Amino acid sequence: MRYELKDKPDFTIVHVDFEAPGEQILVESSAMVARAGGVGMQTQMKGGLLAAAKRKMLGGESIFQNTFTSTEAGQDLWLAPGPEGDVELLELDGRSPVMLSSGAFLASAPSVNLDTKWAGSRGFFSGQGLFLLKAEGTGPLFFASYGGIHAVDVGPAGYICDTSHIVGFTGGLSYDVTKVGGLKSLFFSGEGLVCRFTGHGRLWIATRNPGALASFLEPYRRVERGSN
Amino acid sequence: MQPQAHIEPSTAPTPTGLGTPHEITHGPSFAMLRVDLQPGVTVVAEAGAMVARSEQVSMEVKMNASPSASFFAKLKAFFIALIRKLIGGETFFVNHFQSSQPGSVWLAPTMAGQIAYRRLHGEKLTLSTGAYLAHVGALEMKMKFGGLKSLLAKEGAFFLELGGEGDLWFNSYGGVHAIDVDGSYLVDNGHLVGFEGNLTFTIKGAGGGLMGLVASGEGMVCEFTGQGRVYIQSRNLGSLVGWLTPLLPG
Amino acid sequence: MEVEIAYRPAHAMARVVLERDESIVAESGAMVGMSTNVQMQTQSGGLMKGLKRMFGGESFFRNTFTASGGAGEVLLAHSLCGDMVAMEMTPTGYFVQSSAYIASTPNVNLDTKVGGFKTFFAGEGVFVLKATAAAAGKLVVGAFGGIQELSCDGNLVIDTGHLVAWDANLEYTVGKSGSGWIASFLSGEGLVCHFHGQGRIWIQTRNPAEYGTTVGRMLPPKKR
Repeated sequence: MRYELKDKPDFTIVHVDFEAPGEQILVESSAMVARAGGVGMQTQMKGGLLAAAKRKMLGGESIFQNTFTSTEAGQDLWLAPGPEGDVELLELDGRSPVMLSSGAFLASAPSVNLDTKWAGSRGFFSGQGLFLLKAEGTGPLFFASYGGIHAVDVGPAGYICDTSHIVGFTGGLSYDVTKVGGLKSLFFSGEGLVCRFTGHGRLWIATRNPGALASFLEPYRRVERGSN
Repeated sequence: MQPQAHIEPSTAPTPTGLGTPHEITHGPSFAMLRVDLQPGVTVVAEAGAMVARSEQVSMEVKMNASPSASFFAKLKAFFIALIRKLIGGETFFVNHFQSSQPGSVWLAPTMAGQIAYRRLHGEKLTLSTGAYLAHVGALEMKMKFGGLKSLLAKEGAFFLELGGEGDLWFNSYGGVHAIDVDGSYLVDNGHLVGFEGNLTFTIKGAGGGLMGLVASGEGMVCEFTGQGRVYIQSRNLGSLVGWLTPLLPG
Repeated sequence: MEVEIAYRPAHAMARVVLERDESIVAESGAMVGMSTNVQMQTQSGGLMKGLKRMFGGESFFRNTFTASGGAGEVLLAHSLCGDMVAMEMTPTGYFVQSSAYIASTPNVNLDTKVGGFKTFFAGEGVFVLKATAAAAGKLVVGAFGGIQELSCDGNLVIDTGHLVAWDANLEYTVGKSGSGWIASFLSGEGLVCHFHGQGRIWIQTRNPAEYGTTVGRMLPPKKR
């Protein structure tokens, strides 16, 4: 399976070339752009029925994933995420896991294990309906963000990041969620919660924030009729 | 093996003598088109696309119908436009820009992405309606209905078939890519920019069976069969909405 | 201070490198990340004034970021996709569309009570700022789309939704786009600004109100 990331970094689209029949890629639902006629698609629920229902209640990403399988060499597939932004490809080497914001997952080879029931993810995103995914194993992992993806190599000094901008980070980092600048700052400053990272590893930050887009669009939404 | 041709839409300023002088800047992400007008030239553009113009350039609103259309053709265009407005399609009005002295008009689409230039020499090109930006010349523009199933698709209910001699500019949400089809190819409805050649298409649900249609999240796809070229865009308004909806307050 | 803008043109983010004890003032909500030794203070000009601004529909809060005990960095971004540019302050100053303001050096004076612009923009809560500085300074603006610098040499007509900033010495009048209100409504164009004189105008290649309308009507309806 070969892949190429095009339209980087602004509206990155992934072009997958299948080199043999039987190759598979697991893709977030609604991410398929186009595919050759012979490529098969199968829909399944992620992580079992109970975990899936839990995620649906949290209002996170859809509970379905699609598996695309090639039926002959030379077929191809195009994938794109919903938000306007970049896609990063990580080749996991089986040694260090990667934590991803659930909204960032785009696609992965079946050899990458996605743990959505990981307990450490609770309370990270303060009720935005997002949680952390733990990805481990070997193989390609594609993740996407709203905006560009900025990598910060965190060292002994640590780093502070607005939580709604976090895309993912490597397993070697520990984190602590706090408010910035005291109570008055929280109310007037527009900064919500921030996360202080310490340890050694890499942090991926999105250069745009879905909450800001949602606030911008709020006045343009139609009002529900018949609601008091 | 399907041959893949990836077209880089022309963004360099046009050499003189070949088509209407213009320049596409800020591509590939936020492309904007500048057309330089000489007296006697009319630029027709989608309503709402104007960014700026020299003061001497005049702007007139017209309905989106061919200049040579008969009364009934115009009436048909009017009703199609009304239906589109009801489904939530974009406005069917166009602006005509003209100037008695040299001047420029700057145009841009609503969504981010590229603008591609194409000089038509009599061949036909079909565009999804949101992809049309502007044209110069005697192009025939026919609105085609995609079939009842396409109404379910939200986007892509109507297509614009263009033919004739002239300059055409179309836009994509995100980047635009050409796929050469020889056999069969499936494209998600919201990612379709246009197509040309000897292709037929049917609109269907993406996956197999009921589970596939509802659960796959893929929505409707266009299945193309034959030989020709399909243009796709790297983003999809429906997917943007789908991604953002769970993150909205309340 | 150094301002580096990366991820242009669509997802531009400004990386401001501050020397020890140096400060930058930024629009509230613009901070993406920062080094741990950067302190943030909210500048409301007094609590009452801040509240008044908030209810007046002109929420314009700024935070001051200061590097303490050593050099530090602050990452700043706009809320919509687009480019950013760091402009050098000139003796004339600039008029800036309020939602385009990202950051400025502390010596830049921002006047939010600029008259004559009430019907300038179609969107709500968008107004015009005047930025002036007595000495050298920087102004960082963010746009929806790409940023194009146009030279007005005589006259230019620009759709107001596409305005980012312009040299304060230009003359301008706001008017309808087409001839008559109906034509203006049908043509899809909103208000335009007729500029006269010599100066620079920065425009954004996308219109936020148009984007808002297009995407907003596809979102589920809101309560109330």
